[in-house]
Amino acid sequence: MKKILLALLFGIFFIGNTQAQELSPERKQAVDSLALEKVRDLSKYIKIVGSKETPWSEANRVIDRAEELFAPDAEIGVSSLTTNEVVYYKVRQYLERLMRLNYDRVEIDWYKIEYVSDLQRQPDGTYVGVITVFQTFKGFDKEGRLIYQDTTKKDITVYVKRKETQIGGRLIGFWDVLLGDMRVKETTL
Amino acid sequence: MKNILRLLTLFLLFSFAKITAAQVYTNIGDVQTDERALYTMTKQMSQFISRFNYEEDQYGKKISPDSPDYRDRHKRKTVLPLLFDMENQRTNGSLRDFFISDLTEKDSNYFEFLGGKWYSEVSATFKWKGKSVDVSMIFAIEKENLGSKWVLTNVYFPEFNKLFPKGDIAEQQKHFLHPMSHELDFMNIHKVFKTPECVEYYASESYSTDYLTLFFYEIKNGNLVFEKVNSEKFHVFQIDKWYFEVSWFNREGYNTGWLISNLVFLKDNEKDELLKFYQPNLNK
Repeated sequence: MKKILLALLFGIFFIGNTQAQELSPERKQAVDSLALEKVRDLSKYIKIVGSKETPWSEANRVIDRAEELFAPDAEIGVSSLTTNEVVYYKVRQYLERLMRLNYDRVEIDWYKIEYVSDLQRQPDGTYVGVITVFQTFKGFDKEGRLIYQDTTKKDITVYVKRKETQIGGRLIGFWDVLLGDMRVKETTL
Repeated sequence: MKNILRLLTLFLLFSFAKITAAQVYTNIGDVQTDERALYTMTKQMSQFISRFNYEEDQYGKKISPDSPDYRDRHKRKTVLPLLFDMENQRTNGSLRDFFISDLTEKDSNYFEFLGGKWYSEVSATFKWKGKSVDVSMIFAIEKENLGSKWVLTNVYFPEFNKLFPKGDIAEQQKHFLHPMSHELDFMNIHKVFKTPECVEYYASESYSTDYLTLFFYEIKNGNLVFEKVNSEKFHVFQIDKWYFEVSWFNREGYNTGWLISNLVFLKDNEKDELLKFYQPNLNK
């Protein structure tokens, strides 16, 4: 599925102003799907990293994959209902923290609902949007008692950039999707 | 009219809660969880704009601009009441109903992302002279090159306002340099600086305090140091004769997310006056 979407996004363009290239409504839809695909991958990775059954080496490998979804300077800003303070983490730091949480068992699940904003262009021509997803987290102790739970809203920045690559001596233009800063906010649900 | 709208709102809330039964339950672990509250929540400001203009249906599905449903006035009328804070008298009464009638009586009055005259107010804590202080920063969307960006248009910091009190007219009129001062090499100029609290009275009538420059000055000198953002809300002046504020409501139920938290009917001159605070250089 991912490959089909990637193929859809590929368009053949000769050298030109890559930043000035505009997204057609059809391509926008394909980009939305690809961005959602990336967010779903991230959800999967968070679930694997958070699970106490995942071996340490496997969790680290998944963290590497998760990091690749994000732009290099992406940050994760986390706040809870009890404090307004936003704590900032790098992607790796956030996932490593999740891996080390002190529960005997955790359950991380995602609601089906996903909201994708319209894409807006920033001054350099890169498109930017936000995808909102919701996650529940439950932490249990040795006796299987639920000791912590929350529902968080995750607003994830999505960057869509025109890029070029050389294939068989020809410059091929394509739309690349990367995740950016993520805001994690606890909800009252 | 008011009662009809109320009934309609209740019906819609009920419909939101009812008709999506197949869609709204999801398996969270071993338990089926109800997602209705998440569907009704206005999750992003972008979604607020789409719902406000009826550019997406109640499930969050985008309506194509080619579709007859796109910005459909009648459907818009039924969705708009859901975008108000229903726990606030000011946004849940006849004023709201007048606003909705105004919005839907013709095919205009839409909220455009790049339409200008809407602002984000970010309340933040800074360190100033060793203590934590609240500063409100006002941002607007500005077009640049291929796209747009949020730019600072003003700040509200009570300490700055204390430096430049309105002052009473009689006192202001006592402070001037007479028109022949130049013939005396401005020997009287020391009067300007003898009373620093009144120094601005010696400026031109067209002078206005530029709080943003003061803010930048304090930041550059290291006197104001950013600590954290506390909250964010939006002020919208785009709709003819109306101003509304949109705030985030994180609470239980079906009336949550980004909702209209204040609504005011404004004459054009009143609106222009208010806009001077949000964007002092708007017409320059």
